[in-house]
Amino acid sequence: MAGIVPPTMGQKGQETTSSKVEEKVDYLNLPCPIPYEEIHREALMSLKPELFEGMRFDFTKGLNPKFALSHSVFMGPTEIPSQSSETIKIPTAHYEFGANYIDPKLMLVGRILTDGRLNARVKCDLTDNLTLKANAQLTNEPHMSHGMATFDYKGNDYRAQFQMGNGALFGASYIQSVTPHLSFGGEVFWAGQHRKSGVGYAARYNTDKMVATGQVASTGMVALSYVQKVSEKVSLASDLMYNYLSREVTSSVGYDYILRQCRLRGKIDSNGCTSAFLEERLNMGLNFILSAEIDHRRKDYKFGFGLTVGE
Amino acid sequence: MASRVVVKGKGKGGKERRLAEERPSSTAKCVKEWSTWTLKKAKVAVHYGFIPLIIIIGMNSDPKPQLYQLLSPV
Repeated sequence: MAGIVPPTMGQKGQETTSSKVEEKVDYLNLPCPIPYEEIHREALMSLKPELFEGMRFDFTKGLNPKFALSHSVFMGPTEIPSQSSETIKIPTAHYEFGANYIDPKLMLVGRILTDGRLNARVKCDLTDNLTLKANAQLTNEPHMSHGMATFDYKGNDYRAQFQMGNGALFGASYIQSVTPHLSFGGEVFWAGQHRKSGVGYAARYNTDKMVATGQVASTGMVALSYVQKVSEKVSLASDLMYNYLSREVTSSVGYDYILRQCRLRGKIDSNGCTSAFLEERLNMGLNFILSAEIDHRRKDYKFGFGLTVGE
Repeated sequence: MASRVVVKGKGKGGKERRLAEERPSSTAKCVKEWSTWTLKKAKVAVHYGFIPLIIIIGMNSDPKPQLYQLLSPV
């Protein structure tokens, strides 16, 4: 991921010596960093797959290289948050219709469920460097809808972002590359409705083989993660989440195998929770999904299976 | 409406003071009511119209898909 162009080499004798000498870093030509909200991207992809419980069937039909319709059926118990230590699950079933339009400059994704909830996402490149993203979850119930708009500016070796959401929610973040491997960033947010505000800082160090990130926020969260790419097919990841206000800590270790016909991710937690997620490619455009999550402490066992048809 | 409050019997001084206090707050209230009204209408418009908008934009993009492809599962 280092964007340094190696100097042209004249003779073979010089080649061996100059490859041993450290490349001189061009500090005016650093690579553009990852967006601030994706700073834990590798760890999130390996350790937090979309686990589900029940049966899931997704069908995506492409009418165009840019335009696709999707139909999705889900039947299974859904957990509702409860105050007691018991988990309360309600069986639900829904059908979701979606439409995607994906263009290099404009992306529109919409999903609507049978109970009237709409999930909408828009991403528009206003200029080469400025991007507008908006997403909204709209429901029929009053006061339960959310919307958020984000302006992203991508500079040479920095990114800046400004967000506004409903309920007087404002946020801004900035991330800068300081060396070809290291980048630092910070964010502030202000929530008018809940009268809360916060500041956070993050750092990310990555090479071709590993990524290490750390994030601290004034809401009490400290998150550290480390991902090591052991080979082309195997990655190992671990992360630690600590809340210094409520003194809770959670740590997890996981693996991510990307094989020719399948992708298998598994993790184990310090809360006594172990999970695995398998996506198996049965045929071109046909994927079989198995998801399992076993929480020994709360005695909550979730198993799910599904089929995905279409790209 | 606030600006049409009629005060009886208090005398001229009281009436002028009360109207002067209500004038700045009534414009702020008007702006707030108006923006709430537009947000509500915009929310209904997005709720009903977003997916049809995506379908219209998609059906008009190249290569233009046929109408039956919207409904058939093939």
